[in-house]
Amino acid sequence: MGPIVYATEEGLARLLEAVEADEVFAPVCRAGGIEYCNVRARPQEELALREPRPSASPKAFLQPARERVAVYSASGVDTERSRPEVGRRVLLGLRACDLKAIQYLDKVFREGDFTDPFYEARRRNELLISVDCVAVHENCFCTAVGGSPFAEEGFDLNLSPLEEGYLVEVGSEKGQAVIDRAPDAVAEATDEKRRERDRRRAASVERLKEQTGGWQVSDRIQETLLNKEKDQTWGEQAAACVECGACTFICPTCHCFYLYDQAGSEEEFERIRVCDSCIFGDYHRMAGPAGAKPTPRPALRTRLANRLLHKYAYSPQQYGMLGCTGCGRCIEACYGGIDIRDVLKELES
Amino acid sequence: MTQALEANPYAPQVARLSRVTDETPTIKTFCFDLDPPLEFRAGQFVQLGVPGLGEGPFTPSSSPLDPAHLEVTVLRTGEVTDRLHRMEAGEVCTLRGPYGKGFPIEKLDGKDVLVVGGGVGLAPLRALIYKLLSMTDRLGRVAIKNGARESAELLFRRQYEDWASRDGVSVEITIDKPEPGWDGNVGVVTTILENVPQEIDIPNCYAFTCGPEIMLKFVTQKLLEKGLEPEQIYLSMNRRMSCGVGKCGRCNIGPYYLCKDGPDICYAKIKDYPNVFP
Repeated sequence: MGPIVYATEEGLARLLEAVEADEVFAPVCRAGGIEYCNVRARPQEELALREPRPSASPKAFLQPARERVAVYSASGVDTERSRPEVGRRVLLGLRACDLKAIQYLDKVFREGDFTDPFYEARRRNELLISVDCVAVHENCFCTAVGGSPFAEEGFDLNLSPLEEGYLVEVGSEKGQAVIDRAPDAVAEATDEKRRERDRRRAASVERLKEQTGGWQVSDRIQETLLNKEKDQTWGEQAAACVECGACTFICPTCHCFYLYDQAGSEEEFERIRVCDSCIFGDYHRMAGPAGAKPTPRPALRTRLANRLLHKYAYSPQQYGMLGCTGCGRCIEACYGGIDIRDVLKELES
Repeated sequence: MTQALEANPYAPQVARLSRVTDETPTIKTFCFDLDPPLEFRAGQFVQLGVPGLGEGPFTPSSSPLDPAHLEVTVLRTGEVTDRLHRMEAGEVCTLRGPYGKGFPIEKLDGKDVLVVGGGVGLAPLRALIYKLLSMTDRLGRVAIKNGARESAELLFRRQYEDWASRDGVSVEITIDKPEPGWDGNVGVVTTILENVPQEIDIPNCYAFTCGPEIMLKFVTQKLLEKGLEPEQIYLSMNRRMSCGVGKCGRCNIGPYYLCKDGPDICYAKIKDYPNVFP
């Protein structure tokens, strides 16, 4: 645990002003709900730090939906224009589940024989300020997948909303540097305030437990899912699924993408990365004669199974952690009304 | 291959085609004289493409011992391969790699080796065959089995005699259906696997196979029937891939990505996961 200080609402505003950044993205209250907004450009927006998590995950700030990754011509790659261009950015108001998702994406894009230079550049230039969930969305189930509504690691700074003001925990040197730039914006975190934080955290955990009714994704989930690969549940899901891919696009850990080439300016070509979805029928399709395009997962039910298997069975083997953070965003995104909690419960029953 | 710091694994290099060789009515070999050479291990693949159109994962068919002369043998079967087939020497392709693990050559000392190809599946296996031919003194017997739809589609036909003339190496060929003037084996490739136990020492062998996935399924079944263990069977599976480096997600079998953990993957690793075969 890092040093903890106290900031009033005004103190927090001064801390944020002290951050050297081009953009500060934070959840704000809008008529249609909570959205991320660059509050450095729109300081009049009302921060939503005491509301439940927004429906959008912060994934797009780490891996945008569409991005040019290379420019080349017949004479070779244009190295200069095939590099990431990133500004200094703050992501404010991330939840513990969001940090867990970032931890997962880090394993995908920063580890292994190859790292993704675009993801890497963004991560290095981003300051992560998380916030405890003092309100819980009805679809949240982080505690059922080993998570919690407050973060203990993975942040540069973490905010714990109190009745008045915030406790600010420092998680990194980058975070400490922010405090150091505005030392007058913060005060001592008294024992009383620390106890208030603990009480509020415990209350959120309690609320989540009530919401999930004590349900936990069991340690045997991998085995269960693999054994039930042919289970009827997948067929029921497939009947409800409209193959829109919303669950994968909104998911904070889903990271599949596709590279395609297109003509750029005269004599130049661009390679573009777009996010992709394993739910789509064409996703795995291989080249082949018309009418016989082979794909290893022609049936929607097998693609739905593969997605959940990846989240709960394959990810622990690949990255040492579940690919689901329990944020519940896929539940509100699904046009077919598929609730991942019900699917898991049914498969585990 | 491990990337240089700050390198961009998605950015292609460009390579000028030195030669294009017609192999069969549907298969051509694309040759690149490369300086610097593209060092690869047999079975590793490259992403070869057409500028502005796209790329696909292909395992070179040339010898890993001669990395300055890269050859990639391609069946015309889709958008990119159709355009590739219309390209001529002097035109420019995109190229990046090599990627993947390659065949486990290090396990082959003192072993018998069975190589089973089908159609264009013999292409990646030829890189392996070149490697095997360079180390026959360290191997037991090498049995090469290859099948094609018809005799005109037999890949690298001009080389079979040379391979079979090497010490300890045998080559057996079959075509799916009888045709006038053909007096060799007729039947799918599994029919020439019946005598495998007489040709190689089953407990002391490794088998490598590449071809259409339906063929891989029946070859695997046949080899298991002949007494091979799943640990002895390697399947070369260049499924749909995009990034080639284990990030984009699409080529998984269970927790394995064929681009990163294959494309030549041990059957024992994947056999209990869904969607291995059609």
